[in-house]
This record gives sequence, C-alpha cells and structure tokens, in this order.
Amino acid sequence: MVRQSRVAEGEPSDEGLLAGMAVGEQSAAVIFTRRYQRRIFGLAYSMTGDAGVAEDVAQEAMIRVWRHAPVFDPRRGSVASWVLTITRNLTIDALRLRRAVPTDPDDFAASVMRSNEHNPEDSVHRGDVRQTVRTALEVLSDEQRRAVVLAAVYGRTALEISEAEGIPLGTAKTRIRTALIRLRAAVEHAEGANGE
Amino acid sequence: MSEDDVRASGCDPFTDDLAELALGVLTGRERAQALSHVESCPRCAEELEQLSRVADTVVQAAPDVDPPMGFEVRLFERMGVADVRPHRQRLRPSVWVPAVAAVAAAALALGLGLSLSSSPAPTVAAQHAKGTVSASLLENGETVGHVVAFGGAHPWISMMLADSTAKGTVQCIVVTDDGTTHHVGTFVARQGYGAWIAPLHVKPGDVRTAEVVSPSGTVIATATLG
Repeated sequence: MVRQSRVAEGEPSDEGLLAGMAVGEQSAAVIFTRRYQRRIFGLAYSMTGDAGVAEDVAQEAMIRVWRHAPVFDPRRGSVASWVLTITRNLTIDALRLRRAVPTDPDDFAASVMRSNEHNPEDSVHRGDVRQTVRTALEVLSDEQRRAVVLAAVYGRTALEISEAEGIPLGTAKTRIRTALIRLRAAVEHAEGANGE
Repeated sequence: MSEDDVRASGCDPFTDDLAELALGVLTGRERAQALSHVESCPRCAEELEQLSRVADTVVQAAPDVDPPMGFEVRLFERMGVADVRPHRQRLRPSVWVPAVAAVAAAALALGLGLSLSSSPAPTVAAQHAKGTVSASLLENGETVGHVVAFGGAHPWISMMLADSTAKGTVQCIVVTDDGTTHHVGTFVARQGYGAWIAPLHVKPGDVRTAEVVSPSGTVIATATLG
C-alpha cells in the first residue's frame, strides 16, 4: 500500500516533490524545503533547546532528504515520518557528539501540547494526526508521557529510562507500552471519526 | 488485540516488547527474540504494525518553529540550488537509466530550475501551485504511485511508481481532454519501483489521464487528473 500525503488541492504531493528531487529538480527541492523547514527545525529545536545546533541538524536533514530522495520507499511509511525520523536521529547524534544536554522530556512534551492550544477540539474533525497525538499526550499520566517521549523522541531504551528515572525495568516497559496503546486508541478514534 | 487475547495466545512474554520494538528502542537478545516471535505470530505482527504507525506520530507532533533568518539561503547554497546552470548535473539516483537522466537534464535545460543566488525566489511555489494537478496512479484499483503535472511557463510532469507490476521499460503517455494521446517519455521500472520526470508539452489542466503503458501497449496503471 502506498500512502499519499495530504496537501491542499492543486499543490504537489510530498511524494511528487520527492520524485522531482530524485532527479535533481531544484524547484521541487525549494517547494519541499519551504513545506518542511519549520517542522524539521521545530523538532530539532524542541529536542536541543539550542537554535545553533537545531539549524545544523535541520540543514543536514534537508541535505540528506535531497540526496536520498531516490531511495524513499512509500511502502514503509509517509514522507513526513521519513523526514522527521532522519531529523530525530541526526539530533540524537548531534547531542551525543557535542555531549550536549537535551531538553527535558517534560519540556518537550509541554512545547508539543502548547502548540495544540489552538482549537484542540477540532483536531478530530480536521483529521490532523499531529493534533490528535498532541491532545492524546495531554491525557496521559505524567509518568507515561515522559516514558513515551524519552523512547519515541530521544531514542532511550526501557533500561535507560528505568535507570534515569530510578524505577524498575518492568515499570518502565509498562509505562511505554501503556502510553503507546493509549495514543493508538486516540489515533484510531480520530481515523474512525474521519471515516478512514 | 485485547489483553485476554494476548494471554490466551501465549504472547504474554512479548507484550511489552512490541511497544519498544515499534519505537525502535529494543536491542540485543530481547529484540531478536521478539522479532522471532512476531514472525510466527500474525496477531503480534498486526499489533506491531499498528503500534509502529503510532510510534511515528509522536515525533511528528513536535511543534513547528521558524528557523533563523537566512536558513533557506544557507541551505540552498549547500544544496547547490543557488547556482543553477542548465548544463550542471545534479545527483543522479542509481535506479535511473541514462535516458531518464537525459530527460531530467532536458527538464533543467528548459529552465525549470531556480536561481536563488541573491535571495530565495518567492515565485516558485506560487508558480507551481498555479495550474498544478496531481493524482494517484491506480493499478487494479490499488494505489501504486503518484503523478504530478506542474504548470508554469515550462510545464513538467513527475511520476513515481511503487508496488506496481510494471517491470523493465515502460512508456508514459498522457491523454488530453480532446482525446489526443501524447507520448511523454520512456523509463525503467525496477521491481515495480521507479520515479521519473519529463517536460510536458500540454497544459496540466488539459490532461485527463496519465498512463503507464507496457511495450505491448497494455495500460498498467492510470492516474485521472482531469
């Protein structure tokens, strides 16, 4: 199954732009950059809290997308997922290389939830999975939210989370799983409401 | 899969592992054991796929933030976008046959590239948004790719195939509203996958369908744009 991005009518799809970038079409790269630069920089900045590091990461992420556009495989997920996973991995590497202190996962989650303050009740009807997840994060317990952000965003294993949080390994695993299942329920509910 | 289902099926030891597997943070022996179980358990495989979809969305929920001033200029300089010359070749994907690269170069030669030497060109997005049409490529009712026809002074068309039965050399044709068929180009699909771009000699708004056609003339996939 090929997943296609949602874009405004008349706008080229993400996949179409990647196809253009794959053959070196520079105008496709320009449109793609303008579509994604705020998301890419936003993720890197939210993880690092450092605009300089975030710009370095965001630039490198866009360069990699440009270079690797030909190998993007739509069967494995959406363009947004691919691009932001590249960004996340680069940010984790940058933090490790610079021995920098990442933002606290609670701060990351807070910035995510703050960004949903505009019309959160409408998220289901707009079919925006980002807003659905932001809303769902708000209803997780603090411990579950922290665990899932540490794992999903900062790439921490359950063992690392248990050590950092001073909790048993089994508790860390359960928090991660419970949080993910609750997020899944929220997304499925939203998709059901949108008839997908 | 409910908790009862999990316990009843003997999957209990792996229930927590599936979430970590989906998040990409399970390592070592635990990962190997969990993967081995998933391979032999359709229910856990389904559970893993669903959790993986959600795992991706957490990163996507990060807030949008405006990058610093000059971000685009610095980025486009690094990408080489600031120095567009029609004869200059950009990276070529390994899956392209030379003919396809030549087509891409021809597209650039037509002036489809963008000069950003002094500042980001503000007109490109609007130029392409205007008169641009896109549609999914369907093969037997399934989406197997995408077609985008870009408008502007020099229209061009991009096509991406994935999970198609198309193999080897195939043709792309477009059919305009008046029923006329236009041969747009020939490209190579490898294992049902390929991407391709070419000048379009008709207005995007006039294109009714874009088709991938086998050498024998069989229509493999169709996108309805008009």
